[in-house]
Amino acid sequence: MGGLLFASAVGVTPTPSFFQELAAMVLPTLGHQIMAYAAFGLYVLLIVGGGLAAALARTLVRALMGLVVTFLGVAGMYLLMASPFLAFMQLLIYIGAICVLIFFAIMLVRNTASGEEMHLPGLGQAAFAGLSAVGVLAVFGPVIVLNAGALMKDALPTETPLAELGEGLLNYYVMPFELISVILLVAMAGGAFLAYERRFKAQDEVTKP
Amino acid sequence: MTSPLALFMLAALLLLAIGLVGLISRRTLVGMLISVEMLLNGAGLSIVAAAKLTPGGLDGLGQLAAIFVMGLAAAEAALVLAMMVVVYRRFDTVATEALTTLKDAES
Repeated sequence: MGGLLFASAVGVTPTPSFFQELAAMVLPTLGHQIMAYAAFGLYVLLIVGGGLAAALARTLVRALMGLVVTFLGVAGMYLLMASPFLAFMQLLIYIGAICVLIFFAIMLVRNTASGEEMHLPGLGQAAFAGLSAVGVLAVFGPVIVLNAGALMKDALPTETPLAELGEGLLNYYVMPFELISVILLVAMAGGAFLAYERRFKAQDEVTKP
Repeated sequence: MTSPLALFMLAALLLLAIGLVGLISRRTLVGMLISVEMLLNGAGLSIVAAAKLTPGGLDGLGQLAAIFVMGLAAAEAALVLAMMVVVYRRFDTVATEALTTLKDAES
């Protein structure tokens, strides 16, 4: 505290390492852990709440908003695992691109007000859905709880430098990296083809007779 | 207290379960697409947790695998959007129960 006052009095901008030292002094390891678990709980809350809204909301736009909240929670999880680049990519790709795409889909198929989603699913459908969820939880939950403790590494995860990620993209993963660009190109071309071809056909049919 | 690896994996498992519920109980293709995105997100989360929290020094590769999952999800969403446009033009709905024919009856 005295150091902080001193720094502000002299006008020296404190470096980040200074704040880190201060945090290390003020917050013992237990405090860090409690904060980490609190953040984890918040993110789990975001994931579960948003996920339930996305899976069960009767309006598709609300479901999409739930999906955005879920994505935010997962981005927070990536931050907790010391991978800020992934969190950034999560925000950029999922929230920035995919959610906008889904919103386009909702608008294009005009299914918000009068749509099928307003009806509740049938009893058999709902039962099957619940059964599958419970089954997955019952099968994988015990496996995770029983085995994860032994597999866990002792040290805290550290942030991977971005240069290492780039190197991995160009060395170990060079083939998938090239293939995914092909896949994106094919998906884009296929999407354009599918969306345009029917329209030209429809125009032909209109003009023919 | 259970290990952090178990906690992250359980969060991914929750995403899987919720996504399955949505995938089965939704009545339209758009709703199913939303649920599939949740499934993919859970897969990415579990990949990163397995890479970051276990020994072996594969942090970077795990993160890259998750980025590939994101790229595939983007491609998949674009393709499914195009398919939905085609289906909507042909059937005037994207309700899954209505999509029962492969070929038009008259043609």
